[in-house]
Amino acid sequence: MKLRGAVNWALGLFRRSLQARSVFSTVVISGVAFAVVGGFLSYSIGNGLFSTRLEQVLSESERAVVEVQNTFSASSVTDEIALQTLMNSVVPNLESSGSSDTRQIALLRSPGQSTAQILQSPISADLATEIIPADLRTSVRKTNGKLLYQSISLTVDGVSQPGIVVGAPIEIPLAGKYELYLVFDLSSQQETLDFVQGTLLLGGSILLLMIGGVSYFVTLWIVRPVRVAAAVSEDIAKGALDRRLPEKGEDVIAVLGRSFNKMADSLQQQITKLASVSKMQQRFVSDVSHELRTPLTTIKLAGDLIFNNRDKLEPAAKRSAELMHDQIERFQVLLNDLLEISRYDAGAVHAELEVQDLNGIVGMAIAGIEPLAMSKGSKIEIEIPSGEVDAEIDGRRIERLLRNLLANAIEHGEGKPIRVAVGMDEHAVAVSVTDSGIGMTRAEVDRVFDRFWRADPARKRTSGGTGLGLAISLEDTNLHGGWLQVWAKPDEGACFRLTLPRRSGVIFNSSPLPLPPIKGVKTAKEAKK
Amino acid sequence: MSNKILVIDDDNALREMVGIVLESEGFEVSYHDAGSGALDKFKSSQPDLVLLDVMLPGKDGIEVCREIRAVSGTPIIMLTAKTESDDVVRGLEAGADDYVVKPFDPGVLTARIRARLRPLGGNSEDTVTIGPLTLDVVGHEVRRGADKLSLTPLEFNLLLTLANKPKQVFTREMLLETVWGYHYKADTRLVNVHVQRLRSKIEEDPDNPKIVTTVRGIGYKAGQA
Repeated sequence: MKLRGAVNWALGLFRRSLQARSVFSTVVISGVAFAVVGGFLSYSIGNGLFSTRLEQVLSESERAVVEVQNTFSASSVTDEIALQTLMNSVVPNLESSGSSDTRQIALLRSPGQSTAQILQSPISADLATEIIPADLRTSVRKTNGKLLYQSISLTVDGVSQPGIVVGAPIEIPLAGKYELYLVFDLSSQQETLDFVQGTLLLGGSILLLMIGGVSYFVTLWIVRPVRVAAAVSEDIAKGALDRRLPEKGEDVIAVLGRSFNKMADSLQQQITKLASVSKMQQRFVSDVSHELRTPLTTIKLAGDLIFNNRDKLEPAAKRSAELMHDQIERFQVLLNDLLEISRYDAGAVHAELEVQDLNGIVGMAIAGIEPLAMSKGSKIEIEIPSGEVDAEIDGRRIERLLRNLLANAIEHGEGKPIRVAVGMDEHAVAVSVTDSGIGMTRAEVDRVFDRFWRADPARKRTSGGTGLGLAISLEDTNLHGGWLQVWAKPDEGACFRLTLPRRSGVIFNSSPLPLPPIKGVKTAKEAKK
Repeated sequence: MSNKILVIDDDNALREMVGIVLESEGFEVSYHDAGSGALDKFKSSQPDLVLLDVMLPGKDGIEVCREIRAVSGTPIIMLTAKTESDDVVRGLEAGADDYVVKPFDPGVLTARIRARLRPLGGNSEDTVTIGPLTLDVVGHEVRRGADKLSLTPLEFNLLLTLANKPKQVFTREMLLETVWGYHYKADTRLVNVHVQRLRSKIEEDPDNPKIVTTVRGIGYKAGQA
């Protein structure tokens, strides 16, 4: 578990840190290069040591073989005892002659001869004849006086050491064919090679560590400006538009710094410009508001005065006064809607949220729209849950929104009943307003929230809506973090469903009310006044 | 005797039209068209109520409101084009009693004016005490011991309303109806701002009020909880 944690940590570091990755790659690649070079060096040094020693061994052996052969050929001994003595003297003679390296000697009688063996084969004290390979002996027997050699492994004091065994046939008068073997020890060469390899390994390791360290510092040096750039970018993204990178020197990092700063400058300029444009727009809206409202107030006061005295006027003037009165009202509503939507566009709208009973707000909206409903002959049926439907909302905006939905339903409801339903669950509250009027086509539904859009341009405008009502309703809904959705079918009617979070900021993913509305399942109650 | 109203507005047409409406309702109207000189006009015409536009050339309406309030408690109603902006709150903080948003109905304007000019009735006592204060209902005076406190008529009405029913908690809506004469849902900022102004005059430590206290989530009451 601990190991897995460590591995995960290392993998995470590797993934996250450019520096860790650079250092790791540098060390791995250098390590491989060192292994190849070291291996080659070690191989050629070993080879050189071996071939030098082999030359020496062969020349010594050749001398020894000639000497031994001469000793036997020149001797005039005739009895076995004298011959045995002569043979026995060969081993110590050879052991002590030549270079200082130790060697071991064996004078062995070739097997398979007709004459009986009477004489002892002299062998160096600590030499085991088994180490002389059988195939070498076979080859020596077949050769005519040439030296043959083979690399073997010697065991000295329980440690395996490399060695060379050299063999040659010797003809001993009276005794027959013999083979002379000289076993040379290569341990000093092996020691040299071990030492060289050890040095290479140690040197390589130290070098590798140094390369790791150097690459750590070099990448640190290169990565640090990148880290600074990342931190500064983060700050700028968070809104600290005046943060900049240091611009030192002429190198690529300085170029990066300069380019980054240039980018940040132009970004800051753009944003400042946009902000000032947005401020200008808000200012404009505020000015328009004052400039238009003052003359409108005069017109309204004058219009009302004339309207209130209309009975004293001629019929044509009287009717004109009535028309003017209505149109001033309409103009005022339109101006208010325009200003409202401009405030949304300027981002200057803030909801005044308060926990309140949605049922009460629905009731107020219905009460406010009742005169219009009566004049159109539309009955409003309401279905609300018992008890309080508490929600954190801006009551003024939601009431206005609901009045708007109701006015729409009445306008397009063709005098048929309008159903208002309220629903609540753990996270959300909902109100749906359903009419059974002319409905809308799919294409009309898609455009229903567009500004100044009307379902049918040729249709008579009766309730005098501004064409901004649903656009403002949608903005009000978004301000609450809610949904305003619509379902409609031609000649069947339309249903607008408003879903709001019960508490500001709560995320919900379903509405307490169905859309499209399920017809006939619910028992509609009479609207109570 | 008809009430005198001073209309301060820079728009000639609106000023004249408001005058026509008010005169047809039986008020006596005088006019001024700028922020500068408004205080002199106020002093010379001695109106019972001031209608004051917020945006005026020279000196803005809020400054004018502050000047008038410094010398008199005469009711001031602001005419404002903006409901959402700080103008309303700044005007109320400068001492305006109420405000009307343009474009307004003539009926609404005269109703607001009459509400401000109507004396607070239905009081049986001549003097009412609240904490260390004594209210002289007939003389419209408030005393702390021997010191006379200078309250505007609106502030006096607000304090008297609370003092008449000590221990009763008034919601902001109740106060709007009783003191301001609103029968419909209105801007509760009116109440908040005027309670602050009242406290700054009557409380020894306005940040820690003892005479008019807040009942969290409901409204205000006289005396401590």
